[in-house]
Amino acid sequence: MSDPAALPLVVKDLSFRYHTRTTPAIRNINLSLESGQIMLLAGSSGCGKTTLMRCINGLIPHAYQGTMTGEVLIHGKSVKGMGLSEISKNVGTLLQDPERQILGTYVLNEVCFGLESMGMPRKEMLPIAHRTLERLHILHLKDKETFFTSGGEKQKVALAGVLAMEPNILLLDEPLASLDPASAHEALLAFRELADEGLSIMIVEHRVEDVLAIKPEKVVYMDDGEITYSGDTAGLLEAVDYSRIKLPADVIARRAKGKVHPVFLPTVPQLEPESQALVSFQDVRFQYKDDTPEVLHGINLEVRAGEVIAILGHNGSGKTTMVKHALGLLKPTSGKVLLEGVDSKKSTIATAAKTIGYVFQSPTQMLFAPTVREELAYGPQNLGFAKEQVEENVDWAIETVHLEEELPTPPLALSFGQQKRVSIASVLSMRSRVLMMDEPTAGQDYWNYQSFMDTILQTPGFDAIIFITHDLDLALIYANRVVVLYGGEIVADGHPQDVLLDDEKLKKWRLLPTSLLKLNQELWPKTGQYLRAEALSQFLT
Amino acid sequence: MDHIDPRARFIFSFALLFSATATWNPNILFVIFLIAIIWYSMGRLTWKETKVGWFMISILLFTMIVVNTIITGGGAGGVVPPGGQLVWPNGFELFGKHFTFGLTVERLWFAVSQLMRILSISLAFIMIPYTMDSRAYGATFSKLGLPDGLAYTMELSFRFIPTLARNFQVTLDAQRARGFELDGRKGNILHKIRRIAPLLIPVTMNAIVSSEDIANAMDLRGFGQSKRTWLHELIFHWWDWVLIVFSVIMLATVLVLAFRFNMRLFSVPQWWYGLFSK
Repeated sequence: MSDPAALPLVVKDLSFRYHTRTTPAIRNINLSLESGQIMLLAGSSGCGKTTLMRCINGLIPHAYQGTMTGEVLIHGKSVKGMGLSEISKNVGTLLQDPERQILGTYVLNEVCFGLESMGMPRKEMLPIAHRTLERLHILHLKDKETFFTSGGEKQKVALAGVLAMEPNILLLDEPLASLDPASAHEALLAFRELADEGLSIMIVEHRVEDVLAIKPEKVVYMDDGEITYSGDTAGLLEAVDYSRIKLPADVIARRAKGKVHPVFLPTVPQLEPESQALVSFQDVRFQYKDDTPEVLHGINLEVRAGEVIAILGHNGSGKTTMVKHALGLLKPTSGKVLLEGVDSKKSTIATAAKTIGYVFQSPTQMLFAPTVREELAYGPQNLGFAKEQVEENVDWAIETVHLEEELPTPPLALSFGQQKRVSIASVLSMRSRVLMMDEPTAGQDYWNYQSFMDTILQTPGFDAIIFITHDLDLALIYANRVVVLYGGEIVADGHPQDVLLDDEKLKKWRLLPTSLLKLNQELWPKTGQYLRAEALSQFLT
Repeated sequence: MDHIDPRARFIFSFALLFSATATWNPNILFVIFLIAIIWYSMGRLTWKETKVGWFMISILLFTMIVVNTIITGGGAGGVVPPGGQLVWPNGFELFGKHFTFGLTVERLWFAVSQLMRILSISLAFIMIPYTMDSRAYGATFSKLGLPDGLAYTMELSFRFIPTLARNFQVTLDAQRARGFELDGRKGNILHKIRRIAPLLIPVTMNAIVSSEDIANAMDLRGFGQSKRTWLHELIFHWWDWVLIVFSVIMLATVLVLAFRFNMRLFSVPQWWYGLFSK
């Protein structure tokens, strides 16, 4: 064990309570991090992870006020006596959403932002910026506008901005949240490389299984503001509740053996292969302007009653553009989109809403009304439903998502999970036949996302459900059909067991095979279908 | 225009602004207007890239000149003396009906003067966002003496305007998918505001939430903790000094003419009366 005074980071008996709260957000936190180590900090939403990070990077108490006891030592020196400027030279923080962290209009300016704040002369900052960009293999982006970088590039640019200040400690707040599987894997490899160069890294992440791939030296699990596990990876796999965080599928299956798990049955009607397609794409091509490249290249797709479709694809593959066509928000440059047989060019968006209800990724992008009741009534009122029909729809929708008691509450005052359910209910109330969801599990921890998906898939009222996701496991657990988009084309379309069969193809499409997929493939002769890890336990020998 | 230091450009633009607002003398305003046109033409901007900006300015011009000066006459109060020569002393015929309209020749000349003044200022300032590198704002304002926080605000807004526009589009799409229609607004202004609440509230709430993250991101990289340096390099060339000297001479000349030789007050040239005499 190293001398604690020499360690990059030591947290001793740390507790903190925000001024606006009556109970502490974190209690009696003790941890330490050595040079070259990666620590994975896991836990469900609201367990205190973000507060702990704020105590380490100095935002507490500099930006957030409250009562703090215990201490955080950086190279033996308490942060209490340090200014934010001094802390930021030692502790770099990558926030969850790089879009909000990037401050420079161009990549090079972004990388130099911290150095400018430190008052470094221009001649000195340029070589540092170049070196940092080279280190992350993104020197070619230096003159690019940050707004136009891709999701994966944005994260590397934000990371470069932090690393340019040459910190010894790096705090990463859910760094994989907005990345497709291949970009997430590349980001993790970059973090491992940085740790191997001597940096101490703390990763806060829901995608525990992904982080375990880079072998973190320490794992800490938090629950309700306290550390309930601290140790190595092997210990974590046995110590924590496997329904709370996403562990490797083989571990879950082994631990779940002999236990009873609820059976999941989606409520969409039986598949009707001969019925009229609810949505039909016929050789759809699209480009935003005459002088911009084509985004969709000849899309053919039919959605019928009884289908639960997962649309997979890397960042920028054209998923959102395709979905906007189904909603009538965009019209094809050539080809046709038919909604229940009617050409989208000949119908209004309001008509399209009767066929497809779309739930956007973040509920805050759509919730606005003073009460949940008014929020739910907004859609059907716009579609011209009679008053009694609107009330009937609202009551049915709110009962379906089990939030009846929240009808008089302002939607924006609810928790994230509740907001998500209100946004689903606001689509339900329009009685659309197809539910379409964009990244339905984004921003939710493992427990919440599973229960959310279980609830939605078992919600009556939809003839078909379509969801866009980066999460391969979500597709294989919940979908009966998988569509893969790559570079604006549909490259695969079929049953999950057929589409997800070939590892090499998945890698090419920037979708990486997961442990759940591998276990399902292994047990396929016994199961004959794809199942979640808990359900696979009964097939283990 | 790219070769002129932004500091010199701002000094010139402000000198032109102060010159144009220091006088109502038609000859001086005309010269300033000519200078502004020459300056604008140096930017080699196309109509396509600036039309949105000019559309906004035309709304301002319409309100100030057509509505406020020509129609109501309110904008000319305190500058144009009361009374004067009517443009249509006997009224005029339109669609077979007789109309009387109290527009005077003096008020009409005031509208022309206003047009020259506002257009001169617009020509000087509208080209800035189109011709200036967005990375230069912070360094420019800082070196012109503004505090770092204020100097960086403009640069930061250039960074987040496209993000805000994208968020707005997402919300617009989300609400359109629930049957919201942007066209066909009916009712009074309050009703119209109520109708666009589904757009304004989510966009505003998201902007507020984002601003916390942006402030944190700035704090975490030491912004405002010590005197800032700038990556963007600003170098004065001889032509920048020429522009600054010209700006100073222009402003000084106008001020001397306006205040020493009493040429700041509103006056109407004789040839203008000639246009309206029978």
